[in-house]
Amino acid sequence: MPTFKLDDREITFNPGETIIAAARTAGQEIPHYCWHPGLSVAANCRMCLVEIEPAPGQRAMMLDVLDWDATLGDYVPRRKPKLQPSCQIVVTEGMVVRSNSSPHVTEARKSVQEFLLLNHPVDCPICDQAGECKLQDYWMEHGQFGKRMHDEPVHKPKAVEFGPTIVYDAERCVMCTRCIRFMDEVAKDPVLEMRERGNLNEIMVAPGRELTGHYTFMVDHVCPVGALTTKDFRFKSRVWFLKTHDSICQGCATGCNTHLDVDPRENSAYRLRPRENMAVNKFWMCDEGMMTYRATSEGRTVDHLVSGQVVTSDTALKEVQARFGGTPPNEIGILLSSQASLEDNWALLELARTHIGTKHVFFTGAANGYADDILIHADKNSNRNGVKLLAPHAKDLHELIQSVAGGVVTRLIVLANDADDAAVAAKLAGRLDTTIYLSSASNPFVSEGRGIVFPICGWAEASGTYINQHGTAQVAKKALEPRGSARPGWEVISKIAAALGFTTGWTKLKEVRGKLPVTMSTTVAE
Amino acid sequence: MLQRTSYLTTNYDKPECWALSLYESTGGYTQAKRVLTSMTKEQVIDEAKKANVRGRGGAGFPMGLKWSFMRPHATKPSYLVLNADEGEPGTHKDRTIMELNPHSVVEGCIIACFAIGAHVAYIYVRDELHLSKARLWGAIEEAKKKGYIGLAPFGVDYEVQVHVHTGAGAYICGEETALLNSLEGKRGEPRLKPPFPAQVGAFGCPTTVNNLETIAIVPTVMALGGEAFSKLSGLHAFNDGGVRLYGVNGHVKTPGVIELACGPTLNELIFDVGGGVLGDRKILCAIPGGSSTPILLPSETINAPDPAHPMHAFHGKSVFDVPLGVDTARHMGTMLGTCCVTVLAEGTCPVLAMHNLMQFYRHESCGQCTPCREGGSWLLRTVDRILDGHGTMEDVNNLSDIASNMMGNTICAFGEGTAMPALGFIGKFREHFEAYVRGERRRADARLTVA
Ligand SMILES: Cc1cc2nc3c(=O)[nH]c(=O)nc-3n(C[C@H](O)[C@H](O)[C@H](O)COP(=O)(O)O)c2cc1C
Ligand code: SF4
Ligand code: SF4
Ligand code: FES
Repeated sequence: MPTFKLDDREITFNPGETIIAAARTAGQEIPHYCWHPGLSVAANCRMCLVEIEPAPGQRAMMLDVLDWDATLGDYVPRRKPKLQPSCQIVVTEGMVVRSNSSPHVTEARKSVQEFLLLNHPVDCPICDQAGECKLQDYWMEHGQFGKRMHDEPVHKPKAVEFGPTIVYDAERCVMCTRCIRFMDEVAKDPVLEMRERGNLNEIMVAPGRELTGHYTFMVDHVCPVGALTTKDFRFKSRVWFLKTHDSICQGCATGCNTHLDVDPRENSAYRLRPRENMAVNKFWMCDEGMMTYRATSEGRTVDHLVSGQVVTSDTALKEVQARFGGTPPNEIGILLSSQASLEDNWALLELARTHIGTKHVFFTGAANGYADDILIHADKNSNRNGVKLLAPHAKDLHELIQSVAGGVVTRLIVLANDADDAAVAAKLAGRLDTTIYLSSASNPFVSEGRGIVFPICGWAEASGTYINQHGTAQVAKKALEPRGSARPGWEVISKIAAALGFTTGWTKLKEVRGKLPVTMSTTVAE
Repeated sequence: MLQRTSYLTTNYDKPECWALSLYESTGGYTQAKRVLTSMTKEQVIDEAKKANVRGRGGAGFPMGLKWSFMRPHATKPSYLVLNADEGEPGTHKDRTIMELNPHSVVEGCIIACFAIGAHVAYIYVRDELHLSKARLWGAIEEAKKKGYIGLAPFGVDYEVQVHVHTGAGAYICGEETALLNSLEGKRGEPRLKPPFPAQVGAFGCPTTVNNLETIAIVPTVMALGGEAFSKLSGLHAFNDGGVRLYGVNGHVKTPGVIELACGPTLNELIFDVGGGVLGDRKILCAIPGGSSTPILLPSETINAPDPAHPMHAFHGKSVFDVPLGVDTARHMGTMLGTCCVTVLAEGTCPVLAMHNLMQFYRHESCGQCTPCREGGSWLLRTVDRILDGHGTMEDVNNLSDIASNMMGNTICAFGEGTAMPALGFIGKFREHFEAYVRGERRRADARLTVA
């Protein structure tokens, strides 16, 4: 691979790459605001300026500037080399680039930082971005100066509603145009533009439009400062109270990689953000996906129920013994879920096949929905491929209700949240009074209040594996403590097995995961 | 000695000088016809190179060399774009050509299109120049009727169309890539370079952008031959050839535009063309070529004791007595720019003059890049405070710092166009700024006019 020199390091690069991108791959960040690895190059912030040594035989372009020398009482002329934006300049073999090692670069960074803060309101105490703001980070690194401009800063519109989800503060905006470019290039809806001129510039929504669609939250995440905020997260929490966990979006079969931000003090989630994965979601996520963090607390099943009454775990297990004891194994069916983790599905399948000894395996999940050619998949299940891998011959809900109607299946163990056919699910609930529900959230199966309900952990409360549309197995890590009496599904299944007189042999996540038919790079044929 | 010429301006003071009949009576369109019927594009570019025409838009880039960068694209057409935005304060030469000799522009378009392989020329005219637009439209109509432009100019199968496109009065749209954006109906913001317009220009196609005067002089170049044209200049040895329009304005008795062989001195322009300073005052300073070029003081001299130095011949002379050209101006620490000199008379206030310019730059910055967007306005506000008597010595010190940090750090040359004059004023007139801080002067007494 060709190499170039960045400060004192020899760095390899891919031909055609810019300096900033090659440096990033090599783990060296060149400070920047407007550059984003997933967007076109605007080179307008000028924070990434570097000094490039002229090619052999060429002279450096020099500029004449003046320094005031107080002791001399006169101006001293100085020549400085013309710096280049590292986000725009493509690396060439043998190029010598000075970033942190050039005093001219240090000076330029400090001055860009000062320019950006001239008219900034510095309202960090009430700004949601504080704590994860590039203006703050770079001021600590390249600034640390007092304000030299003593005039009133330029005032611009504040708290402008761009649409149902996003609020804009023009005074905080650094005019990097990332939001404009994101809407144009990724969301394919060029609804944002810049208006006015000079330091009166501001971002605007196209006349007659609002900022709407499936990718509005992303403008908040591409904004390097606090100019764009989501109404959902605005004023809800200080980011330094939040702890971030790697997760996987449960919104559809794409399986976008996410950061789940939770407040450990109150065991609740505040925000779901995209996590870079070039093979899956690059840097992006959709709005619907980001809003799924709410499912970690809303509508959760947190109690054991027997016929609608809250009971203890022991009572529920005793009820299992009483209602299922003595049933011929062949009359027991299980219903897997394309929304549940591979671990939970595997445990239930293992219980049915190895211990109980029944062949009646069914599956369901959420119904199909909206799709686009950006990220959003029509399959609203996070793990359909996982269920397919475990039980390729599992039957659907319609076959289940036939089996129940025909008296073939008389007892059912359901691992489910949504049903791809809610009407069938409701009918089923009416037919069976001897059902075990492993449930993390209220769903059409348990609506009748019949049967025995075991609360299990949702995706944020237990580490789980999910296989996305392309057959990639990905892990959503545990981010929250289980709510109420919820426990991981595979653990509950082990206890139910014991109540039925079987010993499963697993008590730890490690033991379950070790038996899964996947590695983290498993690819499942479609 | 001033070398007056009259190639572009022969007919300037005749009645109806913009009409086709008058233009043809002095040899108009014979060169376009000759080029199209008897020359190859390589031959035309060769003549253009020998003519040493330095771009008249401000940067002084050699015209022939720029033309030679044009390569035919496999699928895309090529364009010629004329820059007639003429927004630089103190610059008023292109409009005289459009108003008084519009056919030289049309004829220049035919020849230049042929040389660079374009079939369409866009003339981007500042919208406020209503008479200029009308005269260009009139000339285009006349040339069309005669068959000089259109599908087959002079019967030759080489289509040339000429269109006038109006801007909306933004100085930044004179920067060639902002102009291209504006031409395409986009926000007038400079583009990143590379790619240069010769690769990706108007509508993504190979494009040559030239100043309007650069193209208007082309028929003269072809009539005289490149070398003979270049030798008209006093700066032929500096590869700065031919004749061009010079302007004088500000505190002179007879401001105006005049055609001269390249290389007049500032003193010649001010006294022989401008008739001397108003009220016969002394010269405070001169802005040599549009507001973006740093000021010169009569007390400044050329320091080139080394006989090998290209400026050695002028060693020890006042910068006001050195021939003004693209490269000689650079050696004086300024730029030739647009060749329109603005004179400030003694007694007027350089702080107020800088304030005036900074107001302009603050207002006209596109605001795309940080140093220009923020720095320009900070400069203005600082000078404003100083004038108001609220400034401190720290404010005065800040001025050179702000401008030095704008220099070279921006997307387009607007940043330097703001910083260079700022450094000029503060570097050469610091004591005037300090006088305001010390309360020795008041804004109310400051003047930019000579009563
Ligand atoms: C801020 C700015 C404004 C400019 N305005 C003009 C203008 O009004 N007219 C012009 O011909 N060139 C202008 N230029 C120069 C053009 O960018 C370009 O160099 C010129 O049109 C090229 O033509 P030439 O090579 O014939 O000089 C401007 C440049 C800058 C940076
Ligand atoms: S709102 Fe944010 S992303 Fe958009 S231009 Fe301003 S700072 Fe950049
Ligand atoms: S230097 Fe000024 S005018 Fe040029 S691109 Fe930057 S902000 Fe716009
Ligand atoms: S990152 Fe903004 S100019 Fe390069």
